[in-house]
Amino acid sequence: MLKSALAEPFDDLDRLSPEALRQWWTRKLKRALRLAFEELPFYRNRFNAAGFDPTRFRTLDDLRAVPICNKEDLLAAARDRENFKSYVAGPVSPMTVSLSSGTSGTTFVMHTRRWRKLQGYSSSRAHWWAGLRPGTPLIMSAPAWHAYASIQPSIAMHFGSPCVVVSGTFLPRFADRIVDAILAFHPRFLTMFLPMVFSILATARRQGLSGEKLFAGVETLVVTGAPITPGMRAHLQELTKVKRVTELAGSSENLLAVDCIHAHGLHLVPDTCYAEVIDRKTGLPMPDGERGSVVHSSVIAAGSLFLRYDGGDVGILDGSPCTCGLPSPRIKLLGRWDDCFTVGPHTMLPYDIQLALESDVPELLGTAFVISKEGLASGTLRLLLVEPENSAADLLDAARSKLSRRFEVPVEISAVRDLPLRFKGVPPILSEREAASSV
Amino acid sequence: MARPHDLAEYRFYRERLTADGQLRPWGITDLEDFAAGNSGDPFAGRVRDDRVSSQVPKFALQLEGTADPSIWIALDPPELDRWAGVLARMWTRWGTSPAETIAFFEYGSSPLVLLASSGYVGYLRRGAADRLSLTSICNDGVAAMANRMVAIVETLRPSMLILRRDLTMPFAMALEAVGMSLAERVRWIAISEVEGAISRAEAAHLSARLAVPVWRILRADAAFLLAGECPACRAFHLDREYLAESLASGHVAITARFANACPAHRFDIGAATLLKGGCAIDPRARRVEC
Repeated sequence: MLKSALAEPFDDLDRLSPEALRQWWTRKLKRALRLAFEELPFYRNRFNAAGFDPTRFRTLDDLRAVPICNKEDLLAAARDRENFKSYVAGPVSPMTVSLSSGTSGTTFVMHTRRWRKLQGYSSSRAHWWAGLRPGTPLIMSAPAWHAYASIQPSIAMHFGSPCVVVSGTFLPRFADRIVDAILAFHPRFLTMFLPMVFSILATARRQGLSGEKLFAGVETLVVTGAPITPGMRAHLQELTKVKRVTELAGSSENLLAVDCIHAHGLHLVPDTCYAEVIDRKTGLPMPDGERGSVVHSSVIAAGSLFLRYDGGDVGILDGSPCTCGLPSPRIKLLGRWDDCFTVGPHTMLPYDIQLALESDVPELLGTAFVISKEGLASGTLRLLLVEPENSAADLLDAARSKLSRRFEVPVEISAVRDLPLRFKGVPPILSEREAASSV
Repeated sequence: MARPHDLAEYRFYRERLTADGQLRPWGITDLEDFAAGNSGDPFAGRVRDDRVSSQVPKFALQLEGTADPSIWIALDPPELDRWAGVLARMWTRWGTSPAETIAFFEYGSSPLVLLASSGYVGYLRRGAADRLSLTSICNDGVAAMANRMVAIVETLRPSMLILRRDLTMPFAMALEAVGMSLAERVRWIAISEVEGAISRAEAAHLSARLAVPVWRILRADAAFLLAGECPACRAFHLDREYLAESLASGHVAITARFANACPAHRFDIGAATLLKGGCAIDPRARRVEC
């Protein structure tokens, strides 16, 4: 292995062997499980009901006996005033509370001072892996309601970075303010939710600025909030001319993984969580590289504690050694079970369509599209796709036939004049009426 | 606090010093004019040149009330802490108890949110909520999130709410849609405005609609000014961190004593009156009415 190919360790945890890391995780989880049983009614009741005894926890395989919890369970606890803080560890005041929203409801994630300290350090590791080094200003890229906002201050302080706070919130209509911040403070490292990257590029273009000019000086662009395909990564590099585009995947419930220098998958950040990918029906571990439910356990026993939490994500795990030398396994979140659809013989995610499209017709890379609900209902993969500028008919014909061959289903592709930028890289499944009204 | 003769080191102030070394009061428009002619300086001449190019202050905040070009204010960590103290004392006047929750329906970039907790901004040692042992939660400051604000009230039972003015109506409507009353749930609500403060009449109207005492916040981010309405005299009490002076124009100028990295001297808040003496709640208070 070439020395230059190794990741620069953040601290001694990065120097552990994979086996030593598993032992480290075992110790941390043992402590968290014990605390959960002794102090947190939410978990004590569930452990008792499942017959799980934390004192018998010896290896990571023993985690299988720990009952899985999900958002519904947390929402039920939140509805019960008495149990509202029943999964919150440590002194509960003063805290900051962040929100985890979705179609099923809002859950509240409690961050104690201790959580912020530990998670801040762990997230600093993640950002170190991603390429952050001392001395660059950090543009705060998450609104205060979001869990990421609770750790950004710690990251800034760890690296001695000035905190640059953009006014407003992180919606496309505020993109001009982010553009101003980038131009004023010249960050070398930038974190951005994927849809916002396209919004700020569009805003810069309206101001007569190319992506290259806007991102001049940015050495690392971290995108988060959606899984990116290899083509999307290349597309972002092409648009911004940033040398290193890194993916960071995380959730409000303490799941965190980030690309290493080789971008061969996202390494689990070990002092945030341990993660499994399991068969949705049997609960058994999926073989490496095969899709299953991502279930993770936080090793930070402070604030809201998530043990064997199934956040509804679909992912794959890869425990094989990485050339970067980091010991933690790699994980790729591909989407959510809620967004899975079946057409013909295949059950897929929007990510799969994105990946297939960029592989089969690279000219369509970076094109926003929508997967039509009506199409899926009739057994057809029907895409509404923003009309490419050149050779449109040929490209669409090629895409139609190649996708049809690949997925063994009828494929229809309709060119539309426009779609919101937020659909770029994150193709939604919408009714055609919803798609039309979203423009 | 930067002394008047030190202000010559700051380009914005240098231009505003008279022959006898006095600083002419200024307002947002003056700052915008300066920024328009100095587009390379994000702080519009209010941070020393050597700190703009290197040693940028640890905290920089884009002003919400100005548009193009963007103008930024800045503080060093101890100054940020002193600013948070202003917020804590403001809340204390309205009443808080340890272990209660304060909820914001505001942009996370508002100083009212940022200064609440060391969890919201780096280099803040103790935010206002940290000092008062309060739990804090911020809901994104967009009207579409009004229902989520109702969920916050329902679940977390905050005793205090800070709302941005334009979100009060969507919030009130969302509450009414689910038949939720804030009376007996919420002790007080404070309303912020990007610059300035809402009128007493508007506060009274909101108070009647939401069935909770509503207090006004006077805000001028360019001058780091945060002042809360007094429940007794209804004037704005100025924290000890500010100096205030009446101007011949009938306006009031504010100086933030804690701001050194980006000084705020003689900021003209507009037509206002400095009241004589304190009030029943705080006999030594310095008060302003506007």
